[in-house]
Amino acid sequence: MDRPGATSKGNRPDLLTAALFIGFGALGLWSTWGLEAGSAAQMGASYLPRVVCGLLIGVGLVVGLQGLRHPALRLEPAQLRPLAVILLSIVAFAFAATHLGFVIASLILIGGSTLAERGGLRWQTLWLALGLTAFGALVFIYGLGVQIRLWPV
Amino acid sequence: MVLGFGEALTLTNLAFCLLGALLGTLIGVLPGIGPTATIAVLLPITFFLPPLAGIIMLAGIYYGAQYGGSTTAILVNLPGEASAVVTTLDGYQMARQGRAGSALAIAALGSFFAGTGATFFLAAAGPLLSSFDLKFGPAEYVALMVFGLLAATILASGPVLKAIGMILIGLLLGMVGTDVTTGAQRLTFGYIELFDGIDFIVIAIGVFGFAEIISNLEKGGSEGVTVAPLTRLWPTRGDWRQAWPAVLRGTGLGTLLGILPGGGATLSSFSAYSLDKRLSRHPERFGKGAVEGVSGPEAANNAAAQSSFIPLLTLGIPSNNMMAMMLSAFMIHGITPGPTVLTNQPEIFWGLVASMWLGNLMLVFINLPMIGLWVRLLSVPYRLLYPAILLFCCIGVYSMNNRVFDVVLAAGFGVLGYMFRKAKCEPGPLLLGFVLGPLLEANLRRALLISQGDPSVFIERPISLTLLLATAVLLVMMLLPAFRRTREEAFKEEEA
Repeated sequence: MDRPGATSKGNRPDLLTAALFIGFGALGLWSTWGLEAGSAAQMGASYLPRVVCGLLIGVGLVVGLQGLRHPALRLEPAQLRPLAVILLSIVAFAFAATHLGFVIASLILIGGSTLAERGGLRWQTLWLALGLTAFGALVFIYGLGVQIRLWPV
Repeated sequence: MVLGFGEALTLTNLAFCLLGALLGTLIGVLPGIGPTATIAVLLPITFFLPPLAGIIMLAGIYYGAQYGGSTTAILVNLPGEASAVVTTLDGYQMARQGRAGSALAIAALGSFFAGTGATFFLAAAGPLLSSFDLKFGPAEYVALMVFGLLAATILASGPVLKAIGMILIGLLLGMVGTDVTTGAQRLTFGYIELFDGIDFIVIAIGVFGFAEIISNLEKGGSEGVTVAPLTRLWPTRGDWRQAWPAVLRGTGLGTLLGILPGGGATLSSFSAYSLDKRLSRHPERFGKGAVEGVSGPEAANNAAAQSSFIPLLTLGIPSNNMMAMMLSAFMIHGITPGPTVLTNQPEIFWGLVASMWLGNLMLVFINLPMIGLWVRLLSVPYRLLYPAILLFCCIGVYSMNNRVFDVVLAAGFGVLGYMFRKAKCEPGPLLLGFVLGPLLEANLRRALLISQGDPSVFIERPISLTLLLATAVLLVMMLLPAFRRTREEAFKEEEA
């Protein structure tokens, strides 16, 4: 979708917008297919969602068509490293918090997320991870009474 | 008001007001973290606090950020917050001329004056507007929400069509879950976890917290910055004389623009700057260290931060994404903001109003004598900050239900928010649509049920008709080329 354009037309951010809007609209229509729509006076579950999806697809088409006619503008290139590292760290935190307790989960999250930037591991990372984990445990779990287990069972 | 101060002066509430003001200043000073993301992170935590204390703290973060943002703008030429972008124009020039202290003091005192003015306006206007609300039926509410949503897109930055699309996505996300009227599951794709709908916190943290971190890292983060030296803190008499009229104008303009849907702090500071430039007898001084260029916008953004609470507290309609956050903070505690708060729980309304004034007073002391401390914070690199933000985000989402599902969903919204940033779509309107979606649907259904499906109900009632006409006028104005050009110019200045 974000291949650099060969022609001088096509505003890529606008085209991506159109794809997102139309995609959401189509997904919504597909998902409410089997539900009863009802009438304006007696609206069923899917009445308003379908209206909104229809509008969304319409707006998407207009943005897309305008984007095609506008002068070319490229998307800022995406970097996979921060995106992937941050997402993996977040998901790892969630699973670890459930099975291994907060302390290990927090260390994984902070240790993992610092890999998002180049430069490799540093001593600073270790102190940061330990300090933040202790802070999180004291403030959130002891202080505010957030219900997360601290240690693995 | 006496009741309010009684409430606000309890030790707990004072402590949380101070905490909010401190946190607000902190994130205001630091460039990569905004008040929206911070409040998203702290929302789930307010559940563990008494209702008033939590709301006082979140409000403190919002207006505290307006104070902190100016510090960075003046000293480093980087806006700490979006609303401080214009402050960099003249504030940094003043700092380069060795008048940094003067600029900081005028920004803080001007903000305090504006905060005081706007808070009193809120105290006076709140009860008045609440009584007006009693005439509102479902049709009027539908018209008001349609007006609010569309006006918000037009006044906010970015292309209008994209903003409308974002609202629609927000509305759609708000419909996920069990339909209240029919009991049918919709848009859940069979996930039991979605039957109760998507939690506001999941979306807010995903789209604002996670996506912001990923985007910041892509830009390379920041390595800490060096700061212009500070000499005298007290402004000269000449600076005072030039600053005050601008403070007064900024306060008035900010208070008004804050009430409008889509108004809020950023728009007000830009408008105040251009107003002062236009009124000035020496417009060429602007951009070269004119003190009005600091005092006007700073007063305006703080006044707007306070007055944007008015539509939320009196009508229950949030006017921008910050207020959408505040709305959900109320909901977490089972309080529906609106006219009933003032009659049934006056201590919440007055306590919040009183705390705003106290918070503004605290902020003057937090900002001026302790300025050196905040400046030192700027040397902390983003590399050490983002893991902390990430941890607080994760704790916040996970602790709602102790469910892996919520965290994964929030990560998914993080990706979505990242794509929206690539597509140059502002995520703010999405939150507004999400918060107002269920209200809009319920009132629309009720209105059409009463009228038996006849849509003329919306134009037969005077208040509803007026609001819809106002919406139509706004839309037509957007299509007029002359108006569109002015609006684009106004926002081009913002990007510069």
